[in-house]
Amino acid sequence: MKRLETLGAWLFGATFVLLSFAVAVEVTMRKVFNVSLQGVDELGGYSLAIGSGLAFALALVARAHIRIDLVHERLPRGLRIVLNLVAVLSLAATAAVLPVMAWFALSDSISMNSTAQTPWATPLRWPQAAWFVVLAVFAAVAVGSALRAFGFALGGSTDRVDHEYGPKGTREELKEELADIEARGAAAIAGELR
Amino acid sequence: MSAEIAGVVGFLAMVGLMLVGMPIAAVMMGVGIVGGMLAFGEAFFVSTASIAWGTMSENGLTAIPLFVLLGELLLRSGMADRMYQAFAGWFGRLPGGLLHTNIGCCALFAATSGSSVATAATIGTVALPSLQRHGYRMSDALGSLAAGGTLGILIPPSVNMIIYGSMTNTSVGKLFIAGIVPGVLMAGTFMLYIWAKAVIGREPLRHESVPLAEKLRLLGNIAAPLFIFAMVMGTLYMGVATATESAAIGVVAALVLITTSGKLKLELLTGCFLSSARTTGMILLVVLAAFVLNLALSLTGIGEALTKWVTGFGLSKTQMLVALIGFYLVLGMFMDTLSMMVATIPLSFPVASSLGVDPIWFGIFIVIMCELGLITPPVGMNLFVVQGIRPDRGGLEDVIRGALPYAVIMILFTLLLIAFPQIVLWLPGQM
Repeated sequence: MKRLETLGAWLFGATFVLLSFAVAVEVTMRKVFNVSLQGVDELGGYSLAIGSGLAFALALVARAHIRIDLVHERLPRGLRIVLNLVAVLSLAATAAVLPVMAWFALSDSISMNSTAQTPWATPLRWPQAAWFVVLAVFAAVAVGSALRAFGFALGGSTDRVDHEYGPKGTREELKEELADIEARGAAAIAGELR
Repeated sequence: MSAEIAGVVGFLAMVGLMLVGMPIAAVMMGVGIVGGMLAFGEAFFVSTASIAWGTMSENGLTAIPLFVLLGELLLRSGMADRMYQAFAGWFGRLPGGLLHTNIGCCALFAATSGSSVATAATIGTVALPSLQRHGYRMSDALGSLAAGGTLGILIPPSVNMIIYGSMTNTSVGKLFIAGIVPGVLMAGTFMLYIWAKAVIGREPLRHESVPLAEKLRLLGNIAAPLFIFAMVMGTLYMGVATATESAAIGVVAALVLITTSGKLKLELLTGCFLSSARTTGMILLVVLAAFVLNLALSLTGIGEALTKWVTGFGLSKTQMLVALIGFYLVLGMFMDTLSMMVATIPLSFPVASSLGVDPIWFGIFIVIMCELGLITPPVGMNLFVVQGIRPDRGGLEDVIRGALPYAVIMILFTLLLIAFPQIVLWLPGQM
């Protein structure tokens, strides 16, 4: 799991780092030599479509999709567990709808032979097929996560549903942020101050 | 049921579901799809498909992952941490001392990052132990950090502005440039307040003066973040690059700086990529959901009906803006700011534009309302963050008491912007 997460993160990161270099070259060429590579904008759009699908899945695994914990943490345990189950189900449903939308867009592009309104005139079926695949991955991860939660609930491990599927409170988020700060040695810098 | 009633009931139901802890994106997407399909059946779903592709392949929104990645690179390479020393050297002698450093540091940090949790947590971790050692009153210290951190979304680059720009078809480049003057002025009014409080309270100066040579040496610490800010904003302001392109240039510049300083390691990159992917995924799913909801609101005519209903009260432009401050103040007490923004823009933006409010100006207004939401109890993200890192034991009420004056300053500042909209509009007008 950890390895898949790292792989996904690298795919995401490499996409945008490569895009950044392409854009930097494009801007330099355009301003200094008055020549445009053309199509870097389009590439940026496709990078976003594919990168965001990956990002949805990575955010889900890290429980980063926003939930407000104001009322939730004050509710009785039983109700919290029920709400967590509804929440994980609603995310799975949302995630499952996305590849269906992508499929509609893709099958439309295939039947109409649509191309992008750009100098490249890319046949839209290619980027949209990739987009469909990453959204299907997100849907699979979300449905898997929901099944796991219901498995815990039915198997009697309600504690895990309570703890592993609740909104990520500020406390937890802060703990991660502070672990990062620790890791990069900011505390040592604080120590150097008079 | 008339469209206005459907709209109001739907909005309240949506906020209710969000408050009991349902995922924000799922609530908005669900309400949008169910509402749209009730009205138009399958045809609605077909149109969401083209909205989804249109949104997720819009190069303008590519600026979000790029700016998030840029912020992570600066944060994890430790560039941000070293800024504090430089500011402490320069501002320590002013009445109010290191509290100015907090604001200045947050402002500059904000200039390179769009996250307020990261801003408040980083500056707070470096600052609080030294503030405690020098005997600053804890509530003052915590308040200045919580408020300073909110500057992150006003001073560009700002993820909130990119989202506002894409939801309302407003130029993100102009929004960024428009954020500079109000951002610097707001930081200035915060510092003015700290100075006045220290002078009136006759608080002693706590710091020896730092020799000029030392001060100049310390400037080296802020050179890197300043260079990146200049690259990003310079290319944008001169019209050389769009917001997305300037973000990409920032990423390249940051990578070059990190590589030349010998800090480029695999684990640093893994950390940056993982963290920026999570943040991006969280933001973009909410944005996508907002676009689907927006489609339902416009096709069913509920959005227009609500706009008519609200403008039907016959309020003047100024009265309406003051009413909106009240609306956002209350909503911001309970809601997360990103969710508040995307859920309300489809309603408040048409109302504002029908009264002739400038879209750039309104974007800055919305961002300041989000900042206010970050420091108003009971739910104010920045209050919780600084409370979580304070070195002493004490209740959240210290933080709330310390941050309250800043919330008042923000409201007064917004009224100032209503009276003098040129504060916002002058700089983008020069582009």
